[in-house]
Amino acid sequence: MDHKINPSFFVACPQCDALYDKPHLKQGQLAKCNHCGSTLIERKVDSIERSFHWSLAGLMLMFPAILLPLMGITFAGQFHQASLFDCILVLIDRGFFMIACLVFLFAIAVPIVRLAGALYISYCFKFNKLKPSLLNFFRAYHHLDNWAMLNVFLLAIVVSMYKLIDDTELSINLGLFAFVFWLICSTMSAAALDQDYIWDKLERAFSRSCANEHS
Amino acid sequence: MNTAKSNGLSLCPKCHKLNSLQAEPQQCSRCHGVFYQRKRNSLQYTLAWNVAALLAFIPANLYPIMIVYQLGIPSDATILSGIGEFIDLGLYPIAIIIFTASIIVPLIKIIGLFVLVYKAHTGIRLKPNKHSKIYHILELLGPWSMLDVFVVALMVTVVELGFVTSVAAGPAINYFTITVIFTMFAANSFDPRLLWDKAADKNTVKQAQLPSVNLPATLPEEKGQK
Repeated sequence: MDHKINPSFFVACPQCDALYDKPHLKQGQLAKCNHCGSTLIERKVDSIERSFHWSLAGLMLMFPAILLPLMGITFAGQFHQASLFDCILVLIDRGFFMIACLVFLFAIAVPIVRLAGALYISYCFKFNKLKPSLLNFFRAYHHLDNWAMLNVFLLAIVVSMYKLIDDTELSINLGLFAFVFWLICSTMSAAALDQDYIWDKLERAFSRSCANEHS
Repeated sequence: MNTAKSNGLSLCPKCHKLNSLQAEPQQCSRCHGVFYQRKRNSLQYTLAWNVAALLAFIPANLYPIMIVYQLGIPSDATILSGIGEFIDLGLYPIAIIIFTASIIVPLIKIIGLFVLVYKAHTGIRLKPNKHSKIYHILELLGPWSMLDVFVVALMVTVVELGFVTSVAAGPAINYFTITVIFTMFAANSFDPRLLWDKAADKNTVKQAQLPSVNLPATLPEEKGQK
């Protein structure tokens, strides 16, 4: 219609494209779309602090979760145990490159990169070190949204335990507990990160520099 | 419905910032990413990924997914025969989990996306409210069908006792991962806003035709009531 409309006073639903006036939310409130019920904007409580601490904890738990053995079996007098890292080594060793790649990407690389990314972003916000490169960084961070599969991997561990439990003696190792906590930390750090707030603040910090670039 | 498209605005898919649309592709004023008002050729891409996923799903079920060597003697197991074993052993919950994750979920995703593409293209019996919810569910289900791949990967590593017992992955595992990843691509390339666009188009067409259509449409109803 008229092109004088100012886009910063409005918000559109990402699922159905309905247009609304931008709501002013307090911490902990969220706005939902009337048409399709998906979330428009959410202000999370204490977002920066929480995601900083969760991702820091996650990065510390990463080493035991990957390197300590997840579970061991005893069968016919032989004992064998495997960690997540062994898993990849053995798969490469036996020539299953595709599964090795997948396990490495979805269960190790993507979660680590996501945790490190969340840590870096919340670190920069916490100590007020905003830089223009954060724009690109945070945009790239969104590419990995769908591809972390730690929760699926945990279910896979449970299922394979059920498979092994009849005819072998199964032992659960420390690695499994570390893995569960790692999963919790990475989920919480992703859930605590308030994207709208971060984008808003980045926009306000760099709008002047952008205007100078264009003029 | 007042949409962003009808006001000449469009939403950046990455940072959810509204931009006034000046060119296509538009550069976002906030995150400097380049995007289109709707995902480009969304339906074609979804259809193509979907067909590829369906094709890969056939060998995934025919070939063995796991080969167990006991004292050097191999025995194959396909996805379905693995589930059958669990049912024989009486482990029904695990059988149900594996059956849902490795057969029902990929099939539901493929069929559901076919239906959504069909509805978004033709607009026949389209209820955007309901169908966008279905799309949301399909998107969430995506990664869970990787379960079988991870189970096989774990079995190969944990059960490695040399000659006594060892487990090898069968050729089906590659096809199965291809299926799962392709369905995830298909779900990502579908744009749910097309459903709402189509429904809005149909409504305007209906309203334009309304005066002429209205009269004959009421007559048969009255006949039926008498």
